[in-house]
Amino acid sequence: MEEGVYRAVSGGRIALQRRQYSASCREFSVRCPRLQLRSLSAATCSVWLAAYGLFVLSQNSMVLSAAIFITLIGLIVYLHFVKIDQESLLIIGSLGIQMTSSYASGKENTTFIEMSQVKDVVINEAIYMQKVIYYLCILLQDPREPHGVSEVVPLFQSSKPRLDCLVEVYRSCQEILEQRKT
Amino acid sequence: MVENSPAPLPERAIYGFVLFLGSQFGFMLYLVWAYVPESWLFSLGLTYWPQKYWAIALPVYLLVTLGIGYILLFGINMMSTAPLNSMHTITDNFAKNQQQKKSQEEAIPALRDIPISEVNQMFFLADKGICNRN
Repeated sequence: MEEGVYRAVSGGRIALQRRQYSASCREFSVRCPRLQLRSLSAATCSVWLAAYGLFVLSQNSMVLSAAIFITLIGLIVYLHFVKIDQESLLIIGSLGIQMTSSYASGKENTTFIEMSQVKDVVINEAIYMQKVIYYLCILLQDPREPHGVSEVVPLFQSSKPRLDCLVEVYRSCQEILEQRKT
Repeated sequence: MVENSPAPLPERAIYGFVLFLGSQFGFMLYLVWAYVPESWLFSLGLTYWPQKYWAIALPVYLLVTLGIGYILLFGINMMSTAPLNSMHTITDNFAKNQQQKKSQEEAIPALRDIPISEVNQMFFLADKGICNRN
């Protein structure tokens, strides 16, 4: 098992963990930094200060209770639906590829693609929000029509590693994908 | 074949001068209409003019439209960018229908669209001595 520290497209640090379970089975996990206490308290303080300012202007105490509710519910929604802590990719040469996203609240989202549908795993460049980024993606093919790409599935969407991390994962995946031709 | 060059021609000089005179005349007319009091215009016999309210309103409308247009153009650009999971980032109709020419020996290969798998292998799997990538 190897671990390396890389950077994401936004500049934050991410950690890549590589495990080899057997000759044709490997797993890659990209872990993002957890929710920091200082950003949480900064957001909470700004919302509560704004609510207090509104309360001073309008003298309506419902604004304060509403602010507390909004903060609590917003935090729960953010942890459960938005903040992804770890994204992992499990590639089994004879079986398929499985992608898992784990949220900060513990929820896990899993997608499995079987090997007959996988054409290739490539690093693609595309325009994203006034930047051009590299991202790893799986090219899917229709099993009845092997020449031709039917769909593109981007990987590591929320952590967005930079090219050096992607090249490591790409080389490892290509070693496994080459085995299925022989 | 019709020439499409941007070179100066006598006709273009005439068009340019007519536009210049017309825009100067239009501007002078706008200033006269906006500043000269209505009583003076009536005394001259010119009674059928639009309300002076529009002398202020039209420029304001124009400036607000310009400001919104900047933001709108930015937004339209962002909306027409293909998302990351779209097929348009990989290939398009021209690349799918291209003809494969037989490569002759010792000749420069024909220009064609190289599939993304081949490009990736060339860039990222080849030995480091051949390509310099950071």
